[in-house]
Amino acid sequence: MKRKVIKKLIEKIEGEAELNYTFDKGKIEDVKINFGFYRGIEDILVGKSPKDALVITPRVCGICNHAHLIAAVRAIENGYGSAGLKIELTGKAKQIREFTLSCELMQNHIKWLYLTMLPHLEKYLKLDVTGNHAVKAAYFSTTITKAMAVFAGQWPHSSYAVPGGVTCDPTQLDLMQAHSLLEECIRFFEQVVAGIPLETYLEITSVSSLHTIGGDFGNLLHLLDKSGLAPRGGSHDRFIVFADSFLAASGKSIVTSVSPVDARYVEESEQQGSVAKAVTYKNRLYEAGPLARGMVSKEPIVKNLHKRYKDALITRIFARIHEIGRLLEANRNLLSRIRIDEASCVLEEDMKLYEFEGTGAVEAARGSLIHRTTVVDGRISSYEIITPTQWNLSHGNEQEKGVAVKAMVGSGTEEEADFIFRAFDVCSVCTAQ
Amino acid sequence: MKDTVGRKLRLLWLQSITCNGNTHSFLNHPELFSLLSHFDLVHHPVLESGYSMEELTDKKIPCDILILEGSFIEEGFTKNGVEVSSLVAHYAQRAEYIVSAGTCATFGGIFKQKDPEKISGFCFDGEERTERYEHYAQKLISLPGCPIHPRWLSYVLLMIASGKKVALDSLHRPVELYGYTVHSGCTRNEYFEWKIDAKQFGLKEGCLFYEQGCQGPYTRGSCNKILWNDITSKTRVGTPCFGCTEPEFPKVGLFSTRTNMGIPATMPLGIPRRAYLTLTGVVKSFKIKRFSERLLEYDK
Amino acid sequence: MKMKEKKALKRESIIQTALQLFSANGFHKTTIPDIAAKLHMSVGNLYNYFSSKDILAQEIIKYTSEVLGEKIRVVNTMDISAKEKIYKIVEIYFRMAKDKPEMIEYFLRVYLSNREVFNDGCEGMVCVSGFITEIMIFFDDAVASGELRNQDFFSAFGLFMGYLGGMVFLKGEGVLPKGIEYYIDDISRNIYNALKN
Repeated sequence: MKRKVIKKLIEKIEGEAELNYTFDKGKIEDVKINFGFYRGIEDILVGKSPKDALVITPRVCGICNHAHLIAAVRAIENGYGSAGLKIELTGKAKQIREFTLSCELMQNHIKWLYLTMLPHLEKYLKLDVTGNHAVKAAYFSTTITKAMAVFAGQWPHSSYAVPGGVTCDPTQLDLMQAHSLLEECIRFFEQVVAGIPLETYLEITSVSSLHTIGGDFGNLLHLLDKSGLAPRGGSHDRFIVFADSFLAASGKSIVTSVSPVDARYVEESEQQGSVAKAVTYKNRLYEAGPLARGMVSKEPIVKNLHKRYKDALITRIFARIHEIGRLLEANRNLLSRIRIDEASCVLEEDMKLYEFEGTGAVEAARGSLIHRTTVVDGRISSYEIITPTQWNLSHGNEQEKGVAVKAMVGSGTEEEADFIFRAFDVCSVCTAQ
Repeated sequence: MKDTVGRKLRLLWLQSITCNGNTHSFLNHPELFSLLSHFDLVHHPVLESGYSMEELTDKKIPCDILILEGSFIEEGFTKNGVEVSSLVAHYAQRAEYIVSAGTCATFGGIFKQKDPEKISGFCFDGEERTERYEHYAQKLISLPGCPIHPRWLSYVLLMIASGKKVALDSLHRPVELYGYTVHSGCTRNEYFEWKIDAKQFGLKEGCLFYEQGCQGPYTRGSCNKILWNDITSKTRVGTPCFGCTEPEFPKVGLFSTRTNMGIPATMPLGIPRRAYLTLTGVVKSFKIKRFSERLLEYDK
Repeated sequence: MKMKEKKALKRESIIQTALQLFSANGFHKTTIPDIAAKLHMSVGNLYNYFSSKDILAQEIIKYTSEVLGEKIRVVNTMDISAKEKIYKIVEIYFRMAKDKPEMIEYFLRVYLSNREVFNDGCEGMVCVSGFITEIMIFFDDAVASGELRNQDFFSAFGLFMGYLGGMVFLKGEGVLPKGIEYYIDDISRNIYNALKN
């Protein structure tokens, strides 16, 4: 069979991407990924007040805007620290920030499950589309973002995290409201997503007990297994996490051995023919995201799946949905720990700091998000944003193919490759900021 | 007029230079699906819809209501090899109604700042009319906001579906949504009345207009009437209003109030400066005990 | 209508007479009968206009503040530089100190020296807002046009009005070697130099 190039437009991925598949002997041997329009948020920030980044950067992305806010505020706090003003957030501020960020992650993961994974898998397997996926996605995401808005004021595009803490000053009534919204989402997870009690779900550690998962998650696992897709889509099996969170401490994992990382070694480079920049760590490519967090933190069920399937589709997909369960439980604990008598914000006035440089990292839905701000004369002189999808969706370098590209290589059809691509939870707007 | 009797109106959601924030904000509508049941969703960036992106770029989709998201550039942004500007022109000519959803689509918004000469809203460039205005003014409804509130859009869609006329102001914004300022309904109103500024972020007490940059008193929008996520608003959680519905959004220095010798440089909407300052001088002369204390005392 | 106008004129003449007496003899030494006598009216009738000496004192400060404010308002509407406006404001203030010394004297010697009289009803800026508002507008315009340096309102206001008040006080004490108008030029220049960008 001849070599041929097939061009495909992938839509409904937070924008669109154009994939050019090169087939050789009936199998994909390379893929070029092209994203839409470069919007230049980093350039727009130059000349603005440092804190304007808290309003501007969330507008990089409609689905993970809150992660941008948290990365931006951490970059400023880190910059203040390097200029001599150390900030120690109160427990309350930390807990509220973590709560709202986790809500955004869950909102994202549930939309991916119901708007991307299930409908595309059903389409791929030529099954009848079961119809109400979107209703489920909207119900859960509307409820969890409402819980988040109790503190953040709104979702999308809140700017409630400010240097030194948060702007809100919640009452017990607010906490209770957030709590009952969260419980509503837990009920949904138990009855619709996993089909078993959250507590039971979180006790699952072995691959052999995965069959106890019911609901839509169980159905997805069943379809992946039955269709033979489960072991497909393996990539470099190298993972990276830059920010500490409930889900994982920072680190990198290569062949299951975990070691520390330092954001200074992250390098961004232009890619020919693409508006998205590629990212490497010490010249090597790494996968970011829920699977990376599961591997770096050695989450038992993710590790056990990995033992059997390596970084295949099943492991990658499982790791993401699994985070919903973990975050629901974590958020329940966070809420019960918040003490409303603690200060919301420890900085009592606008800091007159005119020169600083700071880096902020956060674990967003799709992986590590890094912001770097440089301030001169009280204005932003340069701003750098490295998004998770840049890790996963770059073309790669001379030595090796990009993470998602490698995962697609070897597929026999573009439909299979399309599904493998979507399993990375592609975000076009974040990739081409 | 197209014959729309006896069938649902066809809804086409088209994105240009955007972050998808309006799309996701709209998905938060609690009655999303009963709302959408009034329409035939021919294309949508996230939800399952009748036609694909390829069919969209082939200019094959019928449409009655065109929802636009994102700012526009004449050349240089293509989808599936087709300039977005030509796609929009195609569908805008055919649609009965054009709804510019969000500040980008309406005025240019944040992304306009990358290339202010070339990037603009659909019919407005800031407050100025673009060349397109004359062509489409008849069917244009502006819904600025970064992002839009889901209920702002559902109001417009349901008004159209029920054949009612949406009353608009000179920038084509529905008066029922933008006749208010963001300040109206803010839970911190007492502190504004008595000119008590918020001492810092993270407190229930104090108004954010004097120090923290709140633009609520001169920004049009219903954020404190139609609450965000049906529960709250920026100012209610102590975050200043950044004026995201306004043609010049975003200004520089969003977390601090621009003042001249301590006097706010921008007055509340329509308030003469002399009237405002007279009132300020008088009101500031009184120390109200209740406002010098915590709003809620838990220890007593 | 006519009756109303007549009453307003009477009211103003009471204010002006009381202003002179308070400024010349001090607030405490001046009594309501003194004022009534000077106006050739009965004490009872005067009380129809002002129910107490304190209230009369408060009305006077509002009145002087409005007279001064009205003059500065004219300057604020002129299309001239901040430097020229400063000159005009200083001129207004010093001319008033010369032609109607009781107006300024009242402010310095009655209003500022007898705070207990003004505590209830004239707190803070309540009774002087006619004047303060115009000074605010002057500052706001001058900073917006880039001529004056942006700073806290009171640091600028204190420099401006403290300076003028001090000069008028010295004049009242009789220690100024020259007529107050002599100082208009230098003082407006000093104020401008201190506040300019």
